[in-house]
Amino acid sequence: MDDAVIRLEKASKTFRDFWLRPTVEAVSELDLEVRRGEVFGLLGPNGSGKSTTIKMILGLLSPSAGKVSLFGLPPQAKAARARLGYLPELSYLHPFLTPRETLMYYAGLSNLPRAVARERTAQLLEMVKLDNVATRPVGGFSKGMARRVALASALIGKPELLVLDEPTSGLDPVSTKEVKTLVKALAQKGMTILTTSHLLADSQDICDRVMILNHGKSVAEGKVSELGESLEEFFLAKVGSGDEFALADFLA
Amino acid sequence: MNSLWRIFWLELTSLVRSWTVLMLLAASLAWMFAMPRLVTGDGTAEGFRELFVSYGLGGVFTLLVIAILASATGSIASEREAKRLQLTEVRPVSAFAIAWGRMLALAAVAAFVLAFPCAVLVCSQEYRGIKCSHVFRPQLESPEEEAAKMYDAFMADPDTSPAIKRARKSTILRILAQRAKDHYQTVHTNSVASWNFPGFAEWAKANPSVEPSMRLRFATDFSQHSDVRGSVSASGFLGTVSNVTQTAVVIPMRREALASGGTGAATTNAAADVVSFANTGGNAVMLRPRQDVELLIPADAFAWNVLRSYVVMVAVLMLVAAVGVFLGAGLSRPVALFVAFVLLIVSEMSPSVIDQYPDQLESDTVDRIGLAMTRAVGRMSKPVSELSPISPLADNDCVEARDAAWAFAVDFCALPVAFALLSAFLLRRKQE
Repeated sequence: MDDAVIRLEKASKTFRDFWLRPTVEAVSELDLEVRRGEVFGLLGPNGSGKSTTIKMILGLLSPSAGKVSLFGLPPQAKAARARLGYLPELSYLHPFLTPRETLMYYAGLSNLPRAVARERTAQLLEMVKLDNVATRPVGGFSKGMARRVALASALIGKPELLVLDEPTSGLDPVSTKEVKTLVKALAQKGMTILTTSHLLADSQDICDRVMILNHGKSVAEGKVSELGESLEEFFLAKVGSGDEFALADFLA
Repeated sequence: MNSLWRIFWLELTSLVRSWTVLMLLAASLAWMFAMPRLVTGDGTAEGFRELFVSYGLGGVFTLLVIAILASATGSIASEREAKRLQLTEVRPVSAFAIAWGRMLALAAVAAFVLAFPCAVLVCSQEYRGIKCSHVFRPQLESPEEEAAKMYDAFMADPDTSPAIKRARKSTILRILAQRAKDHYQTVHTNSVASWNFPGFAEWAKANPSVEPSMRLRFATDFSQHSDVRGSVSASGFLGTVSNVTQTAVVIPMRREALASGGTGAATTNAAADVVSFANTGGNAVMLRPRQDVELLIPADAFAWNVLRSYVVMVAVLMLVAAVGVFLGAGLSRPVALFVAFVLLIVSEMSPSVIDQYPDQLESDTVDRIGLAMTRAVGRMSKPVSELSPISPLADNDCVEARDAAWAFAVDFCALPVAFALLSAFLLRRKQE
């Protein structure tokens, strides 16, 4: 049996202008495989192609060349999407809905029966510690609270694969730790997780394997334990030192 | 089905919680109650009802068209711009359901808001015991058929100028068809004009207790307000026209008038399907048989007519919502809004532009392009503009059940489904 949950084979994505002329090659001939039960980190500087890769995996973008599959199916297939949970970089919640309504809405879209949806909503609200504000519109929530609602929404459909785009973005240290603890707990239960992060320490804590992208290409891939003591040092060695700005000249 | 219901519910909740529904309802009811105080009419109950329907319900319908179009264009576009749409798209839900659910929610809001003014209208008028009428027009050859005959005669005539003979046939035919539509028939003093209404005699035999009316719209030689006298007769019925000082007049026809021999100069047409008007006044009168001669047969109560009109209006509003959602699926919100309102204005203006601007103006290329575009929009928006029930409802003409069913099938189901499919296609393309 195929153990790969996500598979990209020579996947490329070229964006084109109105006249169909190529403008940017965001991802170039990328090979990627995420296996069942694995926590996989997709790392890279801004503009390295992480978001484009995630959008191809989610079926929001079609590859210009190569092949992308999710559970052995095309990412646009309903059967594949039914097994997927997604937390975007920003929470993007409907401000007029309450957390309970938000979860019930996404449960409905995931075709959960009403009774199951209600039960799962209550469980998740308790898990993300929002059960006491379950009837307040999320428009008035803090960034951290909104993030927790979004995370619960990603989990409502009992996904087998969870895609987390910058899951700790904008969170305070306490909330960051809570999210990391949650991701670890989900991984222990056997959920496959694909995450991107700028915070390399976070990735080092939670990922089994990582891939480092630069200019749309994979520059390194392997188990975190095999990449050396510090993921940050390894990362900087692969994509640049970060000392490019001639600040001293500017200030002089 | 579950996901469609959820998208419908989300859109509905959004419209309710953003106060859109409440504001529309408040504005509609305020207008329905304020209108009778602002416009008092001509002093008659009939005149007041006509104004109440035209301006009261007509105003609410216009308000809803604008509000639904504005909401529909933002429905998908704003969700996409706020990046919330992708969270729905990564779920096992079809792009068709995303568009169709939103259209249904907008139509539900329109139906809910429109129900209140319609209820006000029924409550304020129904006690008068008004009945609407089926409207029949005389059997005449179509304007296109008449135009074709006129064209042949023109071409055969040696006096016809070479310029006309060289002109495009379709252009000449369009001008002639318009002329045929507006063709005036003159009825001189002490003469009779007759029109054929197939099946009328049979209907009269089958319904011995029902009495029809004729509606004639006169235009006399020099003034529309000249006195008109005469009589109408049809298949055993007779009605008298006297001291008419209005352009349009409804003439009740009585069976007993026949028994007493009648008073007019017209001969009664007891067996035939012919309706005649005899002019016994001092002035010649003119009318357009295709537009100004109508036979009215009493039908059912005003409330039923309002109900059928309501179905047509909701269907039209569904189509408006579908167009808005479709534009929002393919364009950014401000652009979609702009395009939607340009289309709305052009579609409303196109019939008068087409009627009033003769084809002679087409000598200029820019005019030619402008007229062609206006005609195209007019043709595309025909399902919306032609089926507006406000005018027949104001005139107390029956909005026929088959028209309501047709509006529901086409404007509520078929066209919105087509727009939802196109929107789904655009949603998938837009991701690229």
